[in-house]
Amino acid sequence: MTAMALHGVHHTARPTWKLKETVEFYRDKLGLKLVHAISARGWGPIQHPDFLHFFFESGRGSTIAFFYYIGHAQPEYLRAVDCFDYDAIHTAWSVETEAELVGWKDALKMKGVEVVMDVQHELIRSIYMRDPNGYLVEITFQNRPFTPLDHADAARTITAAIAMEERERSGGEKFAGIEAVWNEKANRLDTEVEWV
Amino acid sequence: MPRVYVLDVLEFKPVVDAAKTMPDVQLSGPKLGYYRIDTRGDLILNRRAMKLPPAVWYGAMTGGVSGRIAEWSMDSLRIVSKG
Repeated sequence: MTAMALHGVHHTARPTWKLKETVEFYRDKLGLKLVHAISARGWGPIQHPDFLHFFFESGRGSTIAFFYYIGHAQPEYLRAVDCFDYDAIHTAWSVETEAELVGWKDALKMKGVEVVMDVQHELIRSIYMRDPNGYLVEITFQNRPFTPLDHADAARTITAAIAMEERERSGGEKFAGIEAVWNEKANRLDTEVEWV
Repeated sequence: MPRVYVLDVLEFKPVVDAAKTMPDVQLSGPKLGYYRIDTRGDLILNRRAMKLPPAVWYGAMTGGVSGRIAEWSMDSLRIVSKG
């Protein structure tokens, strides 16, 4: 059996209702090459409209793709809303140096693209912008690789958080905030390690 | 006594460095990749003094907290005994 391994992103895809503006943004402003476009009759589900499905190259073999459904009005449930949980759906591209990230920020400004945030996270610095549909797009520089310690800590955090989720699901205390996770992690570390 | 665990990575090093200057503090570790900070009284941290960016500050207790977070603003964190 072939080993189950993945080798990076081929594409992510979202719908667009602004064809011209989408191409102008990704190809002309961000400089991503338009590398493939499918134009087809609707097929599959009977109500599927005719469509375009097109791809912009975003480095290391990855692409960002869009669907444009011809004659299909944008449903209310797919309208971009200015809210954190909507913005959770986003694409983040890598650059290799912080200088490159700053270069992107300057270049975007020159091209009239507003950088809406520039945030130093724990081990990445990211700039954010919005595309013509209102989708959040991110460019990020990671200043150190993930280490085995990051992996182990991630497992501890998520294990503790799942325990809190399970507790609520089984009728126990509500999972109301992150403090419960931190308490749980501390409880486990208290007993796992001989500290004195 | 309030207690926090701090992951031994570059981003959170300012928290460990701050602990070294606190009165009545016991700093242990790192063990399993965590420092442990125990304080006799309230455990108080200041973001500006540590020069932590906000996105790092609000995740800086991810190692673990034994105690109750009594105050957490943009610049100030106070953890008190749970009891």
